[in-house]
Amino acid sequence: MTVPAVEARDLGKIFGQGDGRVEALREIGLSVAPGEFVSLIGPSGCGKSTLLRLIGDLLAPTSGTLVVNGKPPAQARRDRDYGMVFQKATLLDWRTVQRNVELPLEIMDVAERGERARQMLEMVQLGDFASHYPWQLSGGMQQRVAIARALAFRPSLLLMDEPFGALDEMTRELMQQEVLRIWGETGTTVVFVTHSIPEAVFLSNRVVVMSARPGRISEIIATGLPHPRNEDTREAREYYDKITEVREALRREERR
Amino acid sequence: MTEPISTAEPVAPPPHRRTRHRVLSVIGVILVLAALWELYKVVGKALDLTAPVRPDNVTMPHTWDMILELFQPVRRGGNLLILDLLGRSFWTLREALVGFAIGALIGFGLGVLFARSSLAERAFMPYVVASQTVPILAIAPMVVVWGGRLDIPQWLSVSIISAYITFFPVVINTLRGLRSPDPKAMELMRSYASTPREVLWKLQVPSALPYIFTALKISATASVIGALIGELPAGFQTGLGRALLTFSQQFAVQSTKLYATVIVTAAVGILFVGLVTLAERQLVPESRRAGAEPGRAPA
Repeated sequence: MTVPAVEARDLGKIFGQGDGRVEALREIGLSVAPGEFVSLIGPSGCGKSTLLRLIGDLLAPTSGTLVVNGKPPAQARRDRDYGMVFQKATLLDWRTVQRNVELPLEIMDVAERGERARQMLEMVQLGDFASHYPWQLSGGMQQRVAIARALAFRPSLLLMDEPFGALDEMTRELMQQEVLRIWGETGTTVVFVTHSIPEAVFLSNRVVVMSARPGRISEIIATGLPHPRNEDTREAREYYDKITEVREALRREERR
Repeated sequence: MTEPISTAEPVAPPPHRRTRHRVLSVIGVILVLAALWELYKVVGKALDLTAPVRPDNVTMPHTWDMILELFQPVRRGGNLLILDLLGRSFWTLREALVGFAIGALIGFGLGVLFARSSLAERAFMPYVVASQTVPILAIAPMVVVWGGRLDIPQWLSVSIISAYITFFPVVINTLRGLRSPDPKAMELMRSYASTPREVLWKLQVPSALPYIFTALKISATASVIGALIGELPAGFQTGLGRALLTFSQQFAVQSTKLYATVIVTAAVGILFVGLVTLAERQLVPESRRAGAEPGRAPA
């Protein structure tokens, strides 16, 4: 059996103490297979971002165990297993697009970083914009640079926290298509936080439905949609059925 | 992909024309101020004004007399005032430059230390602030006496006094600048398993540059003031500070020398700030300079 990319057991996270104590996550159990695309969805306050940050070793869990690629998350981070993309592109505005993508490669002492960064920019179809500055790009283009930067050092795990949340609907659909293509090309495992049901269904192998106060996993729904997914997928009957299924799962949680 | 690109370059005249435009506007402002000065003298005399300032030729000499004074000998048979003042400017500017460099380095170092360790910040920041509430006039003689005992050249003692008032804005702004990066960018650096030094030089210092340059401009003028004041207790004969002191004692009799010296001193300060601005242009892209339209919204 292969080692899971992410394996969480009885994971709990509590912020603060005493009166200010907030239980963000309770009894999280989740296993993500290598190469899988998993989305976390739920109302705000359900702890989906917290779970992502625990996986990425940006936070430490209060209880339970979490193993990433067979290692503790801190070790996985030191081994540079994580690529991260946030809602904001967070590009360094004194660096060109090319040099932004090179940043992690510089830190990791990759010799052929110029060539590698160019390849990544080609992959996100921004080859012509290498010498531009971030503020010269639209929001969607900036986010593509952020994806290129996250994948430049070939991490085994891509963590995305509402990466398209700030984009308009048209750009958003284009970006979803791109992410699927890149995922297909690189074979990277993706954990994707979103609050959009169609987005979660369109992208994922499995959708993890979470509920709030405290954050728990209430249901895990396999989408089972065939690949490649494209504009036809968005009009397919199965796609709508899955959206309905996820929506009803979220509703059930609300009513409880 | 057919997403629109925001227009990159703002429409602006070419650089040489912009420079000429700026020079002309500076000259224009000087001429207007001179004209107002002369106008006040004429109107004041006609109305026999005594307040706020008497318009007589000692209190308010003619602007052209101030300029002409520069081309008179300092004393009978001496050098022209302008040559004397230029020589003094060289001394004072050197003291100020060295003081500025020392102050900026110490300020930057403390800023980095405080950004790295909030314990150090809590322990030392009160003293950094307190240092600026002690009058420089009290510190200056001490530095000069201690410097003399340690056989430090006199001009260097003056530089240390200058550094003393220079470092403060740099500490405050460096600290603020080093803390300015988006927390998400800090997390990104963490996810690359980067060392604190890499975070400092690749993320924090570049983010801090606009803040640091704002401080350096304040410090540039402060370092000249520090040098002028430092020269007085040092009994330093060759700087502008001495000239200001001497000519202010003669003010009641002949005021044009003091006015002429003030003009030269101001020019030294402006020159210094100009040098800092030049350096800023080399190091900080236009979109990120203080006062520019921010390139990105704060987090």
